[in-house]
Amino acid sequence: MSRLPWWMGGILMSLLLLLTFSVFGADRPIGASTYVPYFAGIIFDLDPEKYSYLKEIENPGAWEGVMLFGALFGGFVTSIFITKSFRFSLIPTGWKKYKNNSVVSRLLWSFFSGFIMIIGARLAGGCTSGHFMSGMSQMAISSMIFGGVVLVVVIVTGRLFYNVKEK
Amino acid sequence: MDIIVKTQGDDMLSRIAQMFEDVIHQGHGSLALVFLIGVIFGGIIQYTRVDKFEKIAGFSMLKDTIVPKMLFLAVGLTSIALYFMIEAGWAHYHIKPVMWQGLIIGGTLFGISMAILGKCPGTGPVSIAEGRIDVLVGAIGGLLGGYVFTVYYDDFFKPLMGESAGKLVLTEFFKGHEHTVVLVYGIVITLIAIAIPKVEMFDEADLCKLPDEERPDKKQDA
Repeated sequence: MSRLPWWMGGILMSLLLLLTFSVFGADRPIGASTYVPYFAGIIFDLDPEKYSYLKEIENPGAWEGVMLFGALFGGFVTSIFITKSFRFSLIPTGWKKYKNNSVVSRLLWSFFSGFIMIIGARLAGGCTSGHFMSGMSQMAISSMIFGGVVLVVVIVTGRLFYNVKEK
Repeated sequence: MDIIVKTQGDDMLSRIAQMFEDVIHQGHGSLALVFLIGVIFGGIIQYTRVDKFEKIAGFSMLKDTIVPKMLFLAVGLTSIALYFMIEAGWAHYHIKPVMWQGLIIGGTLFGISMAILGKCPGTGPVSIAEGRIDVLVGAIGGLLGGYVFTVYYDDFFKPLMGESAGKLVLTEFFKGHEHTVVLVYGIVITLIAIAIPKVEMFDEADLCKLPDEERPDKKQDA
């Protein structure tokens, strides 16, 4: 299982952001949370004429939807041929070590956190990609506020939620 | 060359075809380029292993700092280059407005869920592509979240986000010194990335497949 060092990941991600921002690329930022309500609209068969939010996200939702297909494909191919880490699993090793051994507990918490994650990202208007990476690269004040709140809350939640001392 | 696909109807397949059609016509890169951006995005996330639970949940326990190091480095480098690209007319600003309530409530919910799920909406799909069923269950929860947000947007969520205080950018507060501000900002963020002490939490399930000399947890820091 090979892996890239963090600095190489940072440099490559920076080049990808610049390509996406540039007029020679896509002339827009990278985002990765608008596609979720976009697909929810398709899966739950919501009429875009009836829901103002679907109307609002029509273009960015479609753009990120296609990008998501690319990310799934890129992630899958990389996990098969490069990192060789593809395997089906229901519970992460770290969860067993610092939380519990229950698959049901992991799945329930996953479902719950997935639910509030998308509500949170859409309330804030972005996620790690749209706010933290793309927004802070443009020196947007909104993204710095979001980034600051998220950093603090992540660390507080980690303290409270996990048994930080190894079992 | 114009490709025009007739995609009428509102069943699921035509709506997915409409998604592709929309991207072809919205002028933010060709369909192939947008897909390629996704492939590279997924490839970087997978190859650096930041899609793993141990990375983001590990950070919440302060036992892994790869994600913040990588994020801060990407932001620091991009901010300087992007500013000069915008000045040269090669890119544009796409600033999100400051909406205090939305940012604070949203950021809090997002932070809680990121620590528990151990993923964000960008890394989640990559780990699903790697076979993680628990994250797929999280994605179903996310779709339901997207559904609730869409349905109650006008009545509940939009008012909750509050008024926009404007699309503010850091350089606006330092008129006349934009270049200095950009350089200082980019360099400071890059230095933060380097200064954050590197700690890593490894997953034995991945490492046990490696011969001893290739295990990153047994190697001295390279």
